[in-house]
Amino acid sequence: MTVAAVHGGGIADHIHPEPQSFIRRYIFSIDHKIIGIQYIITGFVFLVLSGMLAELIRVQLMHANGGLVSNDTYNEIYSVHGSAMVWLVIIPLVTGGFGNFVMPLQIGARDVAFPWLNMLSFWMFPVAGLMLFSSFLIGAPVAGWTEYPPMSLQAGPGTSMWCAAIFLIGVSSTLTGINFLVTILKMRAPGMTFTRMPLFVWAQLATAPLSMVATTALAAALAALFIERQFGVPFYDPTKGGSPILWQHMFWFYSHPAVYIMILPAFGIISEVLPTFSRKPIFGYKMIAFSSVAIALAGFMVWAHHMFTSGLAPFLQLPFMILTFVIGVPTGIKIFSWMATLWGGKIHFTSSMLFAIGFLALFTFGGITGILLAAVPFDFHVHGTYFVVAHFHYVLVGGSLMGIFAGTYYWFPKMTGRLMNEFWGRLHFWLFFIGFNGTFLPMHWLGILGMPRRVPVYDPQFQGWNQFESIMSFVMTLGILIFFANLLVSIRNGKKGGANPWNARTLEWQIPSPPHYYNFKNIPAVYALPYDFSEPLPYTGLENELTDSPAPATAGAH
Amino acid sequence: MAVATLPHAQTADHGEVDRLYAETRDLRLNGFLLFLVSDVVLFSSFIFAYLYMRNTGQGWPPPGINRLDVAFAALNSVVLFGSGATMHYALENWKHGNFGRYAGLMVATIVLGAMFLCGQGYEYTTLYFREHVSWAGSGIFGASFFTLTGMHGFHVFVGVWYLTVLLLQSVHGVYTKQKYFGLTAGTLYWHFVDVIWVVLFSIFYLI
Amino acid sequence: MVEQRDPAVKLDRGFWIVTAVLAVLSICGIIFWYAVPLQHWLPESAQPADQVDALFAFMAATSTALFVFVCGYILYFSIAFRARSTDAPDAIGVQIHDNHKLEFWWALIPALFVILLSVLSVKIWWGIQIAQPNNGMVLEAIGHQWFYTFRYPNVKGEVPDEMHLALGVPVTLHVTSSDVIHSFWVPTMRLKADMVPGLINTIRFTPSAVGTYKIICTEFCGTQHGEMNKQTVVIQSKADFDKWYQATQAAHANMSDALATVSTGAINLAGGDAAAGQQLFSQKCSACHAVGPFSQRIVGPGLKGVLDDPAHPNLVDGDKATPADVAKILQNGFKGDLGVMPNQAQNGLSDKDIANLVAYLASLK
Repeated sequence: MTVAAVHGGGIADHIHPEPQSFIRRYIFSIDHKIIGIQYIITGFVFLVLSGMLAELIRVQLMHANGGLVSNDTYNEIYSVHGSAMVWLVIIPLVTGGFGNFVMPLQIGARDVAFPWLNMLSFWMFPVAGLMLFSSFLIGAPVAGWTEYPPMSLQAGPGTSMWCAAIFLIGVSSTLTGINFLVTILKMRAPGMTFTRMPLFVWAQLATAPLSMVATTALAAALAALFIERQFGVPFYDPTKGGSPILWQHMFWFYSHPAVYIMILPAFGIISEVLPTFSRKPIFGYKMIAFSSVAIALAGFMVWAHHMFTSGLAPFLQLPFMILTFVIGVPTGIKIFSWMATLWGGKIHFTSSMLFAIGFLALFTFGGITGILLAAVPFDFHVHGTYFVVAHFHYVLVGGSLMGIFAGTYYWFPKMTGRLMNEFWGRLHFWLFFIGFNGTFLPMHWLGILGMPRRVPVYDPQFQGWNQFESIMSFVMTLGILIFFANLLVSIRNGKKGGANPWNARTLEWQIPSPPHYYNFKNIPAVYALPYDFSEPLPYTGLENELTDSPAPATAGAH
Repeated sequence: MAVATLPHAQTADHGEVDRLYAETRDLRLNGFLLFLVSDVVLFSSFIFAYLYMRNTGQGWPPPGINRLDVAFAALNSVVLFGSGATMHYALENWKHGNFGRYAGLMVATIVLGAMFLCGQGYEYTTLYFREHVSWAGSGIFGASFFTLTGMHGFHVFVGVWYLTVLLLQSVHGVYTKQKYFGLTAGTLYWHFVDVIWVVLFSIFYLI
Repeated sequence: MVEQRDPAVKLDRGFWIVTAVLAVLSICGIIFWYAVPLQHWLPESAQPADQVDALFAFMAATSTALFVFVCGYILYFSIAFRARSTDAPDAIGVQIHDNHKLEFWWALIPALFVILLSVLSVKIWWGIQIAQPNNGMVLEAIGHQWFYTFRYPNVKGEVPDEMHLALGVPVTLHVTSSDVIHSFWVPTMRLKADMVPGLINTIRFTPSAVGTYKIICTEFCGTQHGEMNKQTVVIQSKADFDKWYQATQAAHANMSDALATVSTGAINLAGGDAAAGQQLFSQKCSACHAVGPFSQRIVGPGLKGVLDDPAHPNLVDGDKATPADVAKILQNGFKGDLGVMPNQAQNGLSDKDIANLVAYLASLK
């Protein structure tokens, strides 16, 4: 084995003194750990806000004639709900949040490649979020998170605000992608070859180019929409020679890879949690790692499967359909590998593990309905119905959000030094799992039987199931409230966890919780994969991490 | 080559500091290249939009709009490509320590870049006043032409300022013969702007 | 190497019992989807619907089997391999890293499944998109905020409310929109096409069951999008349909698509100059009409092959596509719901101009 990315000395050992003022330490911090926690807190705040919007949607749909809010208000609510959940909750949490906190620790680096850029990326995020939510004041966007023109050209001024907000969060995402890519490629500890990287790092490595490339394409589409709305420059308006289909191509060229931006890091979280609590190596390490990359690459070639009914030339439908089916293969390999990781383990049912196992079931279900949707003839039937709504909630809530919960229970002790309460964690899981299925499972057959999406009122024959869904959504929300209560209480009163409460083997668990400003006293050397529970830890140079030996000397300003 | 012609020339210092510099430069170079990649994607998206609209429309240029003036644009392109060449030799001269020639070539690059911008401004005003082609008022032709060339022009504009700042920085001794990452980045950026123009020139004026 | 450290894998009796139970459950699932097909819940009313249902049954059955196995094993492994209180706190699981044979098979089997599914989907796609008869009645459905209207051959004006179809008569339906994107979905037909302004999408089918079926808009189109599900398709026997068709034709006889100005009689089309027509077209017509296929709409339809297109034997006013009728539209203008085409005087066309334009249009093949 060759030893790649050897650093002894040089930038890896170069430490700036820890800033002492509150503002430089916790507000405008350039420390990846603080920035990661800032992302997580901000993301959770937006999760609460757009979760409240989701409950407004469910209350409105309790009755076939609606009645809670007007049609236009309802349209604003679901549009902001969707946009916020995608761009302000899931993407920032899985990349900016966990990616920032965990990835540099797992590769044995002191920080990301560009700490100042990292701070800049973070601060664009709350600003974009405030812009998106404040669009309610001037008439929020109504045409859903996809904002198809000509509808979005006619809507009120909030849609321009939406463009600007999403553009900003897009720039943030692109910069984070560049930052992470350089960090992972260039700053790994000595001996950490590509095939010795933890799987969460692999997932971030596959995600970073997606955030970098796809988000820029979205920025172009958004800029054009903004210019057209504000200055009347025709791109999408058919009466001036533009094409509404052009937007759909540009939007989905971003938004399909965005689906993988949201799910690949969650795959990474699951790949860390499962071996740790099964006390087993991850099964098929290379297959899981490479399939992430395969999924990321193929993700760029399937965007038009969102457009089968919108006037794509019939013969173009076939390659998009078949390529989408093909993505099922690497995804299936991952699921089977995780399943096999459980086999023969010593499984500890912590809250984190429960969410990881729940993820396996729900993501499998959402993946399967994705294959169904990719089949052109069946898509002709269910496109634009609640079947689609059910599918992407299974993937994004049952997949990504479950991954985020698993990751939060798992890394909370590393962030704070304290454990979250297990009893309330398990209760959270069961309420969430049951409530989630109750809310979204019936949507599959409602869609097949004829309920279109994005409607404030609907055919009364569907009222019974909708009421059931709404009630179950309250159960799900109760679970999330318990989670937040648990989180807030545990920050101060949780049981002390120590450096490694889970007996986990990746690098971040070999240093104190919370880690020092400089992460590692000495940059360790890595000589094997981390997941072999029968072997000694494959690191050298960590002897002093948990002792009282002095911190490394800091370099002066330069 | 005379190292002494460089201001604040650094004596050979192979040690921790140099290694640190080499690694920082390596990171920044990678980051900057990735930034350029994402910029390429930004242009590509608009180019895709242009080609898509061009193919769904009825002939190009659309009825009522004359073909663009290739001769003038070709002349203007030569100016821009010339500035790419001067930039290249400026960096080469810096590497070899010829500070005087470096400065001269940098000034030439900046002047040529500014000339290109003036040429573009002339083209825009001609289109607007003589042919009545405008950004918002000429359908998808105006939209795609002015958006794409305007974006490129903005990149040139930023580049001209960027190179000016680099020139001032090098005069004030920010860079040395060994440590000149800012100049490398500036050169890369300027070549990137050139390459984008090759593509834009082909798709707007030639086809 | 890692492989050598892996202990031998022994699957115990419990595993095989669970596998057998899951196999039985899977087979039950497969039987369920074929015994209770989709049409049990949602009737079919047009010919390709049965093919969509066949594809759905296949996908639902195989997915159910897959899902039962994945979840069943996850549940079983979770229970069988849970850490027990009797275990030492540092007890570890079986240290197995991978199994190339197993990985080969679980990559190959999904790959084969994908090939099978692709073949089946392409076959049914062919049946829906390509193999439908295209000699049927040509209709248009136009989406508006927030209703649909329909156009029939030789019926003047638009038909509101219901879309009448004849049982067993193939239909070629062109859909488009007059404002924003709508969608035309008849769940019982399992067919859908987006109504995109500036574009004409086409679906083809053959009505197969008499009845009244809902049309639903599935693409968000504004404030009352949710209420755009009230209109229906009425499928009647051929005799009933003909009766309705004649009555509608009569009722619409006095409706005129032409603008108020009356035509000044037939124009002599002889000697029309196609080249002059082409120049005129780029000045007067190309703002609204593309020289492209019918479906390429700007305001009006694309006019390539307007006199020669077997898919569009009728002009938009319902008349046959003859040079004389094209000239009539040029003379009188046309009030479509997508926009108004000015008449001869408003367009500033001489009779000679019209002859030239018709000659030009006839030359577009």
